[in-house]
Amino acid sequence: MTNRIQPSLSSGCLRRRTFLADVGMGFTGLALGAMLQRDGLASTDVWSPATGQPHRTPKAKSVIWLFMNGGISHMESFDPKPMLTKYAGKTIAETPFADVQNPKKLALERLVVPDANGNQRNTLFPLQIGFKQHGKSGIEVSDWFPHVARNVDRLAIVRSLWTTDSNHGAQTQFHSGRHQNDGDFPTLGAWVHYGLGSLNENLPQFISMGTREYWNKRDGHYLGPAHDAVPLRIDPSNPLDFGRPERPFSSDAQRIGMDLIQRLNGLRGVEYPQDPAIAARVASYELAFRMQQSVPGVVDFSKETEETKALYGLDQPHCRDFGMQLLAARRFVERGVRFIQIQHGGGGAGAWDAHGGLKKNHTTNALAVDQPIGGLLEDLDRRGLLDETLVIFATEFGRTPGTQGSDGRDHHIFGFTVWMAGGGLKRGVVHGATDEIGFHATENRHYVTDIHATLLHQLGLDSRKLEIPGRKRLEIDHGKPIQEIIA
Amino acid sequence: MAPALNRSATLPSAPCAQQRRRRAAPLVVLPAFAMSLLLSMARGDIDYPKDIKPLFRIHCTPCHGALKQKSGLRLDTVELMIKGGKSGPALQRGDAGKSPLIARMSTGDLKERMPPEHEGEPFSESEIRRVREWIQAGAPAPTDEQPEADPSEHWAFRPQTRPAPPMTRDPAWLKNPIDAFIAREHEAHSLTHQPEAGRPILLRRLHLDLVGLPPTAGEMAAAERDPSPDWYERTVERLLEDPRHGERWARHWMDIWRYSDWWGLGDQLRNSQKHIWHWRDWIVESLNADLPYDEMIRQMLAADELYPNDLSKLRASGYLARNFFLFNRNQWLEETVEHVSKGLLGLTLNCAKCHDHKYDPFSQEDFYRMRAFFEPYHVRLDGLPGEADLARDGIPRAYDGWPDNPTYRFVRGQENNPDKANPLAPGIPSVLTFSPLRIQAVTLPNEAWEPERRPWVLAGHRAAAQSKIEPLAAALEKAQAKLQRLQRTDAPTATNAIAEAQGELRLAESTLALAQTEFTSVERRSESMQASWARKDSRNPEINPSRAPVEIDANHAAVRAERDVALAKARHGLATAELKRLQAAADKKDSVEKDLKKAQEALDKAQQQFAAPVGKDESYARLPGALWTPTRFLDSTKDDPTVAFQPKSTGRRKALAEWITDARNPLTARVAVNHLWNRHLGTPLVATVFDFGRKSPPPIHRELIDWLACELIDSGWSLKHLHRLIVNSATYRMNSSVAGAELNGAKDPDNLRWWRRSPIRLEAQVVRDSMLSMAGILDLTLGGPSVASSDQAASTRRSLYFYHSNNDRNLFLTTFDEANVKECYRREQTIVPQQALALSNSRLALDAAAQIATRLSHREESGANHPMDDEAFIRSAFEAVLGFAAGNAEVAQSQLALDAWRKYPEITDSAGTEDPARAHLIWALINHNDFVTLR
Repeated sequence: MTNRIQPSLSSGCLRRRTFLADVGMGFTGLALGAMLQRDGLASTDVWSPATGQPHRTPKAKSVIWLFMNGGISHMESFDPKPMLTKYAGKTIAETPFADVQNPKKLALERLVVPDANGNQRNTLFPLQIGFKQHGKSGIEVSDWFPHVARNVDRLAIVRSLWTTDSNHGAQTQFHSGRHQNDGDFPTLGAWVHYGLGSLNENLPQFISMGTREYWNKRDGHYLGPAHDAVPLRIDPSNPLDFGRPERPFSSDAQRIGMDLIQRLNGLRGVEYPQDPAIAARVASYELAFRMQQSVPGVVDFSKETEETKALYGLDQPHCRDFGMQLLAARRFVERGVRFIQIQHGGGGAGAWDAHGGLKKNHTTNALAVDQPIGGLLEDLDRRGLLDETLVIFATEFGRTPGTQGSDGRDHHIFGFTVWMAGGGLKRGVVHGATDEIGFHATENRHYVTDIHATLLHQLGLDSRKLEIPGRKRLEIDHGKPIQEIIA
Repeated sequence: MAPALNRSATLPSAPCAQQRRRRAAPLVVLPAFAMSLLLSMARGDIDYPKDIKPLFRIHCTPCHGALKQKSGLRLDTVELMIKGGKSGPALQRGDAGKSPLIARMSTGDLKERMPPEHEGEPFSESEIRRVREWIQAGAPAPTDEQPEADPSEHWAFRPQTRPAPPMTRDPAWLKNPIDAFIAREHEAHSLTHQPEAGRPILLRRLHLDLVGLPPTAGEMAAAERDPSPDWYERTVERLLEDPRHGERWARHWMDIWRYSDWWGLGDQLRNSQKHIWHWRDWIVESLNADLPYDEMIRQMLAADELYPNDLSKLRASGYLARNFFLFNRNQWLEETVEHVSKGLLGLTLNCAKCHDHKYDPFSQEDFYRMRAFFEPYHVRLDGLPGEADLARDGIPRAYDGWPDNPTYRFVRGQENNPDKANPLAPGIPSVLTFSPLRIQAVTLPNEAWEPERRPWVLAGHRAAAQSKIEPLAAALEKAQAKLQRLQRTDAPTATNAIAEAQGELRLAESTLALAQTEFTSVERRSESMQASWARKDSRNPEINPSRAPVEIDANHAAVRAERDVALAKARHGLATAELKRLQAAADKKDSVEKDLKKAQEALDKAQQQFAAPVGKDESYARLPGALWTPTRFLDSTKDDPTVAFQPKSTGRRKALAEWITDARNPLTARVAVNHLWNRHLGTPLVATVFDFGRKSPPPIHRELIDWLACELIDSGWSLKHLHRLIVNSATYRMNSSVAGAELNGAKDPDNLRWWRRSPIRLEAQVVRDSMLSMAGILDLTLGGPSVASSDQAASTRRSLYFYHSNNDRNLFLTTFDEANVKECYRREQTIVPQQALALSNSRLALDAAAQIATRLSHREESGANHPMDDEAFIRSAFEAVLGFAAGNAEVAQSQLALDAWRKYPEITDSAGTEDPARAHLIWALINHNDFVTLR
């Protein structure tokens, strides 16, 4: 707790405990703790709130969470399946793999919204792109991702994810572990924010960039809106909501005003001593003012070299937007931001949602993300940041081995792929597998929260210790760390 | 508090229940309780109450305790464990090996293991170890260990009786009986109440609390001058009668009742209803009229059964219409059960969806029995006078469309696993039953289920059809004039233009003809519908069961008129296609020819149909007076079959509403007064406002809750009576400072016993409305459609009128913890940097600051029309914006800032502001902590 610094007017910074004592909160917290114990509400162990300290020595400090909205085809990205091409046009029942559609094996699906989508697709659709082995590890990656493939020896690929929601509510599910019908639950970023908090008091600690669909717009839920991501835009002139005055107001004049606000708030403490709200508000203004000053600088790339910008593809129109977000992510990581969530692809339920025209869809989308991601991995590594930064590449579900319409693939929950890199994970490994047509995760199956558990483990957090009384989480909400990919 | 301050986040004074717990950081000093705990741990003892008993409470006692005694076994005291159940003792002191308890919790055999699969979390290894050690140590427990109380004895399930206000030592402090209950706790804990707040603070408090807007300068001056001792009470009366009071408190109830404008994907309505704002207006009007709370609940749940033809009251059932969910009936009804239970009854019945309730005496069946009340209901839009188009306006309301749909329990809550062998009837948990439920079907008046009979419906359709004719006639004249003009010119190039103008003329003719036939069709159909009602309504329909000739003729004419329309449509289609061919570019000729051919074929077909004789049973599309809201439960690509309006309603919801609003219901009034208290004073009397069950912590002021509940009921459920009582109490009027009350602070740091007032972070709506109000630009228009997101930036309406749904939220309001439409029994009161950015940078705040500065400088309200000097300006600015008088230090600091701003040459005139420095000062005060604080 002591590492977290609270801003104050007088001394510039103030240690957290002193701050609490100053605002008279020590007593409150204590009294409540005792009461909870008396009432038996504090569960079996003495419950205590997150302290801001990891529960064990962390391997990683920051997370860059890349999410492909809509559902990327696992077979045409990081889990190539040549059998699809071999048996193309045949129904699954006609192939040696007919048993994948055994109703028992399909039972985990939870159909939320009866829909034209999210159905069984019986006729196998050939791979729409080639694939090759790459790197020393010889891992196969599709030709849509040459830049990521160049970094394959940095990746830990998990080819055996499964989820249950065959609708795009699976986006919420991937972020929170819970199905949208079960209510709203905090997302992983919110948990990390709640559990670890700040490394840098000038910047928001949980940032979101890119497109978030309406069902997946908030994070904190029962942890409170204070744990929602702060949405940012890569626009140095206007990166934050209300990030600069919307009427002419010089920064000198604002500074005079800020000083006055803080002094007047301080004076109010004479009549209202120990008012924690005054102290918190003073701190929030200080942070807001510094955020307003700092954030534009982070998303201003003028000091980056041309080589670096080119590495992220900023000179290429097709991937410039995503490249800027990733370059900003690296700059945020360098400045100690905890969790940067970047979602790619708006429109409909997400850009990758290739119910038809998969080839064109994935060609365009892969072009938009491949070079920036490859650049990010290289750039982080050469700066020595990859060891303490976890990069994750995820999506809500895979796509069906069978054809939808004439040239698309439907949602597929039974097996799909996610990869991670850095942050103390093994490099150049594949873990888990799907069957020969990419239908079911067959080896080392993992529900989406196993990804959460792995990330939290690397950040030194124990999700059970973060749990809030009265908000019981299930086993499946916690997941299990994927030990096999931890270095 | 720890996480709250991670990022200087949550305001500690009034967080929700789980946040309070989150603040429970064992931080600095240890009180006696914790010390004894540490000592016992140091002795190596196993502390049964602390270490062992909670394990049983989690894993065992829901089935083996006061709630249930499966196998005759109870595990809520050690004695009961030793006594055991049907299969003998569960525990043997000092011998874990001979204690079946250990065997059953640790076995790997899932058939044997306790708790059984799906019934609870198994014991972890370390927990088993702990229990084992405790048994080995002789299972020590306090000698006076008490078994769990009978769940039906839980205070909130017992009837409320009016307690006598206690006698207290300082009767002079008491303003009404509320204070006696509060003072008793003060005395019992040697707390001293804080003094009454100063008059300006009180005035601002009353205004913001009761009408959601700050007092004007005039109102402040008047209050300051008022010498009478009852200025406060008179202010309360004035504000309760102010129509803005209804708006202010409507927003509170809208939080609790989950008001939401409709949302979906693109244009597809998936949740809530169009025009749901009618329900919001009903709430505002009802509160202003002091419609009794019980009557409000009855109307919200069952207006369609109680007042089936009263559209004004039917607006109330927007409460149910809001739960509409396009795709899934189960989700829809589960939410309905959950929030009727939580919001009106303070019950977490939702916890019994998958299994019996773990804390309260509710079985899983009880959840589904509650669902059965709602099983028949569906949602429709009823047309209003003057607007035939339901897309533009209508009343969203509930009706029973599926009287015969069965209700099944879902095994483990899984919708694909209904227990069809045992359909469930509507019912309430037995512990809350005080008299048999009376469910009687309600026969509806014709106009309720044949809404097209309402007098304005046919007239509305006629007027709508007629209104289309005139502009088309004008368009035809224009087309004629254009053709004549072209024909008068001799230019050879005009040939094409003339041909085109002829085409346009033909199109205009056919468009007008179509509108005319449509109008005629509306007329004929109206006549036919009226003829059919005439027979049905005749006293003795048996005498003449078949249709009279006049009715058959009318039907025939209506069918003919519809065929006329079909023909006119086909002609119009042909005219359109012909004009397109004339206008088409050379390379598009092929496709337009194809279209033309199709149009010709369509016309031929229409002519054939037109010529066919009218069949005996042939009918026509009846003009609608209401439309059901289509669902897509079966297939998300097309609407489900229409759910027809029924002549009878099941009466289930009426019966439920009667049970909820019965004075004997132990929960309804208690839950309501707790909501009121919470929103007046910032923290509730029962911390879990939506859960009055056995899991909620026992309230300190139980008698006060009961007394208030009895006041509510005995006053005829008058909410204004309760508002009046609460705000007139001395408890409400206290100062919010802790200054001079250090001893209180040590004894009751959380102010659980109300020895002072707790400050409240103002709700989002109040923050915005206050700025507009002080700027003198707040639009006080009452009611109407929600202000669309795109119009909000320019709107000066009160914030409760802003479109607000799960998808569409106003950014500024959201920053200040706007209500979550899915559940908001208490508002969050965070303090985050984004709020600082919104208040310091938004156009809203910057514009308001300039306007307020100008207004204050001119003292418009006091009539002295001359600019004031800086000091006077500063002092009146503090009073106007913050509601308190600036001290000398504050004046001095403000003066320094004014001087500093004026030194900057660029601060001359940025946006037409006459004195930018003063605008900046107001801006600073808007950003002051106390601007967003109800002191």
